[in-house]
Amino acid sequence: MSGGLGLEQRYRRVLRLLPGYYRDKWEEDMVAAFLDSWHSGDPDDDEWALEFCKPTWGEVGSVAALAARLYLGGAATPRRYFAWGQAVRNAVLAVVLVHAVLVLDVLVRTAWSRRVFGLPAPPASLAVYAPTGVWPTVFYLAHVAWMVIFVTLVLGQYRTARVLAVLAIVPGLVALAQAQLTGIMTAPFGPWAFWVLFNLVPVLGMTAFHSDAPPPARLPWLTALPVGYLLVYGPLLAAQATGNAAWLPDFSGLLCILVAFACLVRVPRAWSRRAAGSGVWSLTLILLAAAAGAYRVIMLSNYLHDPHLIAVSLAELVILVAAAALVAPDAARAQAAAPAPPYPGTIAA
Amino acid sequence: MAGKPMTGQAFFVLSALSGGPRHGYGIVGEVAELSGGRVQLKIGSLYGVLDRLAVEGLIEADREEAHDGRLRRYYRLTRDGRGALAEEAEVHAAAARVVRARLGLTGPTAAGAAG
Repeated sequence: MSGGLGLEQRYRRVLRLLPGYYRDKWEEDMVAAFLDSWHSGDPDDDEWALEFCKPTWGEVGSVAALAARLYLGGAATPRRYFAWGQAVRNAVLAVVLVHAVLVLDVLVRTAWSRRVFGLPAPPASLAVYAPTGVWPTVFYLAHVAWMVIFVTLVLGQYRTARVLAVLAIVPGLVALAQAQLTGIMTAPFGPWAFWVLFNLVPVLGMTAFHSDAPPPARLPWLTALPVGYLLVYGPLLAAQATGNAAWLPDFSGLLCILVAFACLVRVPRAWSRRAAGSGVWSLTLILLAAAAGAYRVIMLSNYLHDPHLIAVSLAELVILVAAAALVAPDAARAQAAAPAPPYPGTIAA
Repeated sequence: MAGKPMTGQAFFVLSALSGGPRHGYGIVGEVAELSGGRVQLKIGSLYGVLDRLAVEGLIEADREEAHDGRLRRYYRLTRDGRGALAEEAEVHAAAARVVRARLGLTGPTAAGAAG
């Protein structure tokens, strides 16, 4: 006798990954089917298996995948799980949109540097040229891949988007690990935080895009790419080209300002009685604010030598927190009263 | 399925129930047989599919039977489930007919079309 847990108890432990409502409905049936799958017909073998065996990694993986699908719910899941699923899908799309806008910036500046538009040559600080050498080319392609990832995700090609996204974040990880191991990275927290928050987490969040999830609203998301570029990078590019770059926030500051602005745009609907309960977007903004805020805090370590930049960074953080607080009550309500799961339907953009 | 494309797993689970009600592990075995061993459903995957099919009204519980001190729940196709399966099978069969014609193959077209 093992004196420990039997196979059934071990499997029930795995099933705890699933939401309670789902276990109430299916647990006994799943346990029965699982134990049936271990019956060999030989009583001695069966007794040994029931006593000593553990669920295979494949079984554990299938339950974990089911749990992710249920917690980040699509059609037919309870409203709070549907709200979380929608919020994560929106947040992932928003982060991937930011990557795509960055790619668009590189492409525009590359074209400008080649004087494709017939414009005068850009200032040296804005010029971008095609990479040479293997590693620079790999990094360039990994960067440009985010544009393809964004489009495939919006078009509902989730598997392609996931595979490309995994491939796109690997070169960054390799470069970070190499820089860390060789000791050439003087301020490691920022690059690692960026990779985790805006590369790894969105890729993991792509598990929310499954066959039960309503597809994204294509037109608004695709329109957001050029519009986002013009509204955000147009002014930035103009400031840089005219020698006013000193006024521009750093990337983490820019994220704080953008998310805070989005929260303020959301406030009228978040506080409207008529819109009460439609707070999936407020929940999305809270997730984005958490990521932007965490990145801002971590990036403070780069400015410890400069009290002015510390003060600016803290001001950005305060603005972000204050704006997020305005939509937080609506985000809390979203979990109880999100829109009913539509299918076929779309993720609001 | 209301315009939603049927997944391969859902197709095989519905196919497994087309011969009559089956319990969870019975469906796993039938799916493996129908697919020639290519589809080996894990229990977590099976119940994800069963839950969706039940919500969509394509399957329903048939009965419960005691076995080794446990209750085995059997599932069966609903009328909508039979319709959806027939529709999907026809899509597969039509695609198989086209492929067979293009390849210049002759003989029965239905066999193996589901794969």
